[in-house]
Amino acid sequence: MSTAAAPRGLPIEISGLTKHFGSILAVDHLDFVVEPGRVTGFLGPNGSGKTTTLRMLLGLVTPNAGQATVGGRFYRDLPNPSGTVGAVLEATSFHPARRARTHLRMVARAGGHDEARADVVLDLVGLAADGKRKVGGFSMGMRQRLELASALIGDPDVLILDEPSNGLDPQGIAWLRDFMRYLAGEGRTILVSSHLLAEMAQTIDNAVIVSHGQLKAQGTLESLTSGVAQASMHARTPEADRLCAVLTGAGTRFRRLAHDLVAVDGMTPEQLGPLLATNQIILYELTNEGADLESIFLSLTAGLGFGEVGHPE
Amino acid sequence: MINAIRTELLKMRSMPGIWVCFGLAFPLTVLIMLAVFAGAGGSPGHTYSFVVSLDQRRALVGAGYYGITFLAPVLGVICITSEYRHKTITSTLVLIPRRSRVLGAKVAVTAWWCVLMVVLTLVTVAAVGLPWNAGLGGVTSQVTDQVGAVVPGLVVATILLGLFGLGFGTLVKNQVAGILITIGGTFILEPVLVLLARGIFHYDLNWLPTDAAAALSGSLNRGGFGGHPDAGSHLLRWWLGGLIMLGWGLVPLSLGYFTTVRRDVT
Repeated sequence: MSTAAAPRGLPIEISGLTKHFGSILAVDHLDFVVEPGRVTGFLGPNGSGKTTTLRMLLGLVTPNAGQATVGGRFYRDLPNPSGTVGAVLEATSFHPARRARTHLRMVARAGGHDEARADVVLDLVGLAADGKRKVGGFSMGMRQRLELASALIGDPDVLILDEPSNGLDPQGIAWLRDFMRYLAGEGRTILVSSHLLAEMAQTIDNAVIVSHGQLKAQGTLESLTSGVAQASMHARTPEADRLCAVLTGAGTRFRRLAHDLVAVDGMTPEQLGPLLATNQIILYELTNEGADLESIFLSLTAGLGFGEVGHPE
Repeated sequence: MINAIRTELLKMRSMPGIWVCFGLAFPLTVLIMLAVFAGAGGSPGHTYSFVVSLDQRRALVGAGYYGITFLAPVLGVICITSEYRHKTITSTLVLIPRRSRVLGAKVAVTAWWCVLMVVLTLVTVAAVGLPWNAGLGGVTSQVTDQVGAVVPGLVVATILLGLFGLGFGTLVKNQVAGILITIGGTFILEPVLVLLARGIFHYDLNWLPTDAAAALSGSLNRGGFGGHPDAGSHLLRWWLGGLIMLGWGLVPLSLGYFTTVRRDVT
């Protein structure tokens, strides 16, 4: 997607990372590398260990084994942590009585940055007019923007974003997408975790897919779509139930996306068309989706957490 | 470390709870001054008068201490528990990954705000108490010459009470519980334990936080208001009270660091 600029970012290296919470294995010998100059999606169902991994990277959680480093160093050992890595972890972590600008001045002080950066980043995230407002009165989307402003205060080379589009309206999501691409275009390392696959598909260059704390796939979006997943057809029909029955009978994998919409995996239009005609199924629309991120993801994670998935008998 | 301290200073300044503590310190100091003047009136028909005895003069200088006995620990509790209440502990530890540095900054800033609280009470005494005393016929210099005897102990006791609150807060984490237990402990639990120990075991339980701090501060809270001049006689020596207060601050702080602050932030 983006043309990688001269790298100003640093690689993130996760090596053999393992974390237990009591008897629960949250992260299981995870290995991957995030390169500078690209937006890397860190994808997985809820409870797959994404947040725990990011927290281990930032020194908030101690791993039982393995290590997570930025530019070859542990986060806590970086000479200027907030000037090297900016992190967006949770949008509720503000004191409600604190004004947005005061919060950012505080963040700037903590990292030894110029407090004038508070106004710069407020402007950057579109909150310039809200700097004097108390955070308690902010919407979820505004909090997300403020969290992003906090992460950017040290003009970091690496950005780690945990579900940053939560609470954002469609304009906000589009803005965030462009913003991440812009930052990656400057050569920064961007690692973004999300479960919004359609949104991520429009944003990321690389993907790291995890499930049950284990790495399932890693690579560029192109390599993943060509190497792992199969083509997908979306069929809109008033006879979706009958279509599902026919597909089951034909041994074809499918997903029911809506009451009148079925995604059929692993079939070309030339294969699906005759099948529909033979069974006299009324069709309103048939689109070739190709191999999308969602189908890759579902094939790797067995559909965990993403609704009904039909399996051939 | 300087950046961490500057951050904590700004953080504390932007917390309403801190200003509530300071707002309460002023009227409480005035109320205690009223009690001191009322206690100074010895003869029938005189409900109150200017301060005369050494204890009364010192009590007037340290009139803010009564409020400080619970406001300083509450200030310490708020300093740390607000991080957990508003989940800002995560961003704090991301910004300053060395956790000992965060705790060290909180110690320094709690101490600083405790000193400011003492200054506020002294200003209140100077602005209200001294003119009040002079209006009743008292000699101002007889009060101000006790400043040197009272203020150092008052400052140290206040700081140590604040650190006790900070340490307690690292263990409790819940802000409401921390504040309620601090106030309840000061005004209910400690007096009850002291009475029980004295009544049942004939033991002078004078090493609990309030009494240890009172010993350090020159028994301002126990016997200094003019009504019970002997009440402070069972207190510890000032230096022993200081050492015990240091322990009350350091033990929960250390426990909190090893059991809470060093834990995973999930």
